[in-house]
Amino acid sequence: MDFYKIPSQKLAGQVREDPALLDEIFAMLSHFHNEVEDLNIFILFDPENIQKEMTFLKEKIAKGKSLSLAGVPVSLEDNICTENIATTCGSKMLSTYKPPFNSWASEKLQEAGAILAGKTNLEEFGVGCRGNSSFYGAAKNPWDQQRIAGKGAAAAVSTLMLPLSIATDTIGELRQAASYCGVIGFRPTYGRVSRRGVIEYASSMAQLGIISRKTSDLAAALEIISGPDPQDPTSLKGEVPSYRASLQNEEKVFKIAVPDNWDQAPGMEKDVKECFLEQLHNLTAGRVQVEYIPLRYFHKAYLAAAVISAAEAFSNLANYDGVRFGYRGEGKSLQDMYIKSRSEGFSSKLKQFLTFGALVSSGKHYEDYFLKSQRMRTRIKNELADCLERYDLLLTPTTPFTAPLAKPDTEPDQLADPALFYTAAASLAGLPALTFPLYTSVKRPAGLQFMGKAGDEASLLQISALLEERGISLSFPNPGSIK
Amino acid sequence: MPEMETVVGLEVHVELITGTKLFCGCSTAFGADPNTNVCPVCLGLPGGTLPVLNKRAAEFTIKAAQALNCKISEMLTFDRKNYFYADLPKGYQISQFFYPMGTNGDVEINIDGETKRIGIQQIHLEEDTGKLLHIGTIISSPSSRVDFNRAGVPLIEIVTKPDIRSAEEARLFLQRLRSILRYLEISDCKMEEGSMRCDANISIRVKGGDNLGDKTELKNMNSFRSVYKGIEFEVARQKQVIKEGGMVAPETRHWDESKGITKAMRSKFVSADYRCFPDPNLPPLDITKEWLETIKAELPELPAARFKRFLLEYQLPVYDAEVLTNSKELSDFYEVTLTYFNDPKTVSNWVMGELLRLLNAASLEIEKCNIRPEALAKLLKMIDKNTISGKIAKTVFEEMFESGEDPEVIVKQRGLVQISDENALEDIIFQVLENNPKSVEDYHKGKKKAMGHLVGQVMKETKGKANPQKVNEILKNKLDN
Ligand SMILES: [Zn+2]
Repeated sequence: MDFYKIPSQKLAGQVREDPALLDEIFAMLSHFHNEVEDLNIFILFDPENIQKEMTFLKEKIAKGKSLSLAGVPVSLEDNICTENIATTCGSKMLSTYKPPFNSWASEKLQEAGAILAGKTNLEEFGVGCRGNSSFYGAAKNPWDQQRIAGKGAAAAVSTLMLPLSIATDTIGELRQAASYCGVIGFRPTYGRVSRRGVIEYASSMAQLGIISRKTSDLAAALEIISGPDPQDPTSLKGEVPSYRASLQNEEKVFKIAVPDNWDQAPGMEKDVKECFLEQLHNLTAGRVQVEYIPLRYFHKAYLAAAVISAAEAFSNLANYDGVRFGYRGEGKSLQDMYIKSRSEGFSSKLKQFLTFGALVSSGKHYEDYFLKSQRMRTRIKNELADCLERYDLLLTPTTPFTAPLAKPDTEPDQLADPALFYTAAASLAGLPALTFPLYTSVKRPAGLQFMGKAGDEASLLQISALLEERGISLSFPNPGSIK
Repeated sequence: MPEMETVVGLEVHVELITGTKLFCGCSTAFGADPNTNVCPVCLGLPGGTLPVLNKRAAEFTIKAAQALNCKISEMLTFDRKNYFYADLPKGYQISQFFYPMGTNGDVEINIDGETKRIGIQQIHLEEDTGKLLHIGTIISSPSSRVDFNRAGVPLIEIVTKPDIRSAEEARLFLQRLRSILRYLEISDCKMEEGSMRCDANISIRVKGGDNLGDKTELKNMNSFRSVYKGIEFEVARQKQVIKEGGMVAPETRHWDESKGITKAMRSKFVSADYRCFPDPNLPPLDITKEWLETIKAELPELPAARFKRFLLEYQLPVYDAEVLTNSKELSDFYEVTLTYFNDPKTVSNWVMGELLRLLNAASLEIEKCNIRPEALAKLLKMIDKNTISGKIAKTVFEEMFESGEDPEVIVKQRGLVQISDENALEDIIFQVLENNPKSVEDYHKGKKKAMGHLVGQVMKETKGKANPQKVNEILKNKLDN
C-alpha cells in the first residue's frame, strides 16, 4: 500500500479498523529510512522505539480509544523534548541529554495515536538556516544533495517518508526549509501551540510549526497540537477552532496584499522572482484578488529579528554551563569550567551568534541595537496589523532564493541572513504564516508565503487548500530515485 | 574638623512563605535534604524552563508594598538579570528590574522618643538562587556542591533611601520591617535561617553636605546584632580613614562576626553588566484597581497603628505598647487575654514580665507557648479573688508554662489555695508569737522591722498560702493589744 498517498485521517481510520496495518507501516518506515539515509534527516531513528509505540497503540485501539492520528508516523525536531529519549538540539552540548519529561506537542501527538517516527536533524539549537552548525552534519536537500534542506523535518516530508513533521519556527527557519524542500510549512499564531518542552533559543518568537504535503494533514495535526496550556504563560487562551471544518468553506473570497517592493531582498534569485510573478498572475482569478501596497518597515524585519533573537539566545542558552547537565569541560575553577564547557560544547557558528547577542544586549550597545530593534519590532507589528485589517492575507516569496549550496563552516555567516528577509516579519509580530511550494524553472522548489491575522490560521489553511485544488503544486521526487 | 554624619541605605531580602516556589510547584520548606525540592523549571533543565507565576507571591509583594506606603506599579512585569554563577540554574535571575512592584514608600521608627520616617526607594519580587556548599571555607574546600532547594524561592527585595543615620536606626528599621512583614504573615523573617538578609551601603559625609568618600557595601550580617555591630565598625573605620587623610574606596566588604571586623572581599567578576531585558516568557499582567482593593481589604492592622491604639485604648506606657505590638502574636495574645480579664496594665505586666522572661529563657516563640490566654486570665482572676497570692501565682504560672495544665487544677492538686480563714490564721499566728518571743519584745521596743520577720514566719508555716493582708491585720491587732 502506498501510505504516503493517503490522507492522514483516512490512514488513521484504516489503522483503527485494522491495527495489523501498523506492521506494514513499520516496514515502510524502515524501507524509506534505508532509502533516504544519505540525506542525514534524522538524529535519532529508533526502530525499537517505533515498535514499542505501535504495540502500545494496538492496546489503546483495543480499548476503543478515539485516536484521530492512529498509526500516523510523525517526526519531531530534535529540540522538542521526548521523555527519556535523546534530545540533542543538534549540539555536542546535549549529545547525551535525555529529558525527564515530555513536551506538550509530543504528549498531544501520542494521545492522538501518532507514532514518533524519529527525531529530525536541525541547525544547532535551531539557530540559522545555512546547514553548517549541526553536530551531526547538515540535512541534505532531497531535490539536490549538494544543497541544504534547512531542516531534516522538511526533507523527511519531502521524500514522502512521512506525512507530517513537527519543528520549530523562530525567524522563519521552518518556512525556509519547507520552501527549499518543496513542501507546505506552517507557523501558527504565537502562543497557539504551547512551547512547553521545546528547547528554543528566542522565546519571544519561537513557535512550533508543522510541515506537510497536504493541507488536510496540516489541519488535522494543528488541531491536535493547538490549545491553551496553563503551563505556558504565553499560550493563547480560548477554544481552538475546528481547522478541519474551516476547510469546508469554499465560498470565501480572498483579498490579498503584496508589498510593492516585494522583490527587494538581497540576493534575490531571478528564477524565484519570475516564478513568483507568474504565480501571482495565475492566482488572480475567481475568489482571489491581489493588490500591491506600500509597506515602510517590512524589509527591516530580518535585521531587527537578528538582533532580538541573538540577545534572547545569549540568555536562553546561559543554562549550558556544565554544572547540572550536558557537556562539561574540565577546568581548575568555576570560570574555567564555564569557558571550557561552552567553548568545546558549542559550534563556532553558534558561538559567533551568541557573541553577537552578548554584544547587542550589553550596557554599551543596548540602546543602539537592542532597544532600536524592539522599537522597529513594534512598528512592524503595527504596520502588519494595519495591513491585515484591510486584507485577508499578505503575500511574499518565502525566501529570496532556492536552497543554497552547503557551505563549509569556515565561511563566515552574515549576522542577519537575507534568507530570513521575508519570514522574519511574521515572527516579530507573532502572526501565523504558511509557505506553499512552487517549482522554479531551475528545477528546484521555492515558496509562496502567506501571512494572516493573529488567530486566523483558518484563512491560511483555506488558501492552501485552494491552491492545492488549482493544482498549483508540484510533483514530488520519486523516493525511489533519490539515491 | 566639621561635624560628620553617617549615611546608610539598606537592601533587605526577605523570603516569602508562599509554600511553593515563584515559578514552579516545588516546596519552599527550609531544611530539606539537598536537591529534593527541585524540578525541571527550577533546575533550568533544557526545555523545562517555562515559568508559571505563583500568584500568591505577587499578592504578598503587593501587600508588603501597600504596608510600606509605596506607589504600586500598574503592570506586573518580570525581567531577566543575566549572569553566570553555579548557584543560578538558568544563567539568569527572574526579577523586576524595569518596573518594581512598589516605589517611594516609607517606614516609621521610634528613636529617642521621636518618630522618624525612613524612605523606601523600591520593593520588588524576584527568585532566590541556590546555595553553594563547601567543606570548610570556599578556598580550602576540595570541591563545591550546589543545593538548588532554595533556587526559585520567592524573594522580595526592599531598598531603603539613604535616610539611616546610625547603626541603631538601622537596627530599629530592620526590627520594624520584620514586625510589619510578620504582621502581614508573608515571611517569617528569620535572619539566622537566611529568610531575611540585609546588606548595607555605608558612607560618611559632612553633616548635610557631600560625601567624603565612596560608599562601601557591607555583606554577611546574619543577625540584628551583627547588622548593628557591622555598621558601627564600618562607620568607625571610614571615619578613621578620613581622619588619616585617606579616601574610602568603593568596595564590597564582609562582616567577620568572630573577629568583629569588616574585610574587603576579593571579587573575580568585577564588571557587572546584567543585560536586563523583559522576560519574554512572562507577558505583563495588569494590576487592576479591583485587585489592589481586594488585597488592601485583607491588610491587617499594622504595628504602628496597633501601637497607637494600645496607648489610647489601654492607657499603656509607651514602653509596654512598643514591646507588645512589636510582635503580632504577642499583642494578639495580650488582647485575647484582655477579653477574659479586662485589666490592661495587670495583663501587660504579666505578659511583659513573667511570660516574656520564660519565653526568652526557653528561646520559645509565643505561638508554641503552653499557656493560652484563657489560662492566664483564669490565673489572674484567682489572684483578684484572693484565691491565691500573687507570689504563689508566679509558681503556678511557671508550672503552667512547663506542663500547659489548667491553673485551677494546679492550685487544687497542690493545695495552694490561700488561707483567709481568720480562725485558722489566728491559730497559726498564736503559735508563731509563742515561738518568737524575741521578735515580740523587739516590736514592743519600737523595732517595727520585727513585724516583717513575724509575717515571714507565718508565711513559712503556711507555705506561702496565708493571705498576707489578713496576716498583717491579725498580727498588728494581737501585738498592739
Ligand atoms: Zn521547581
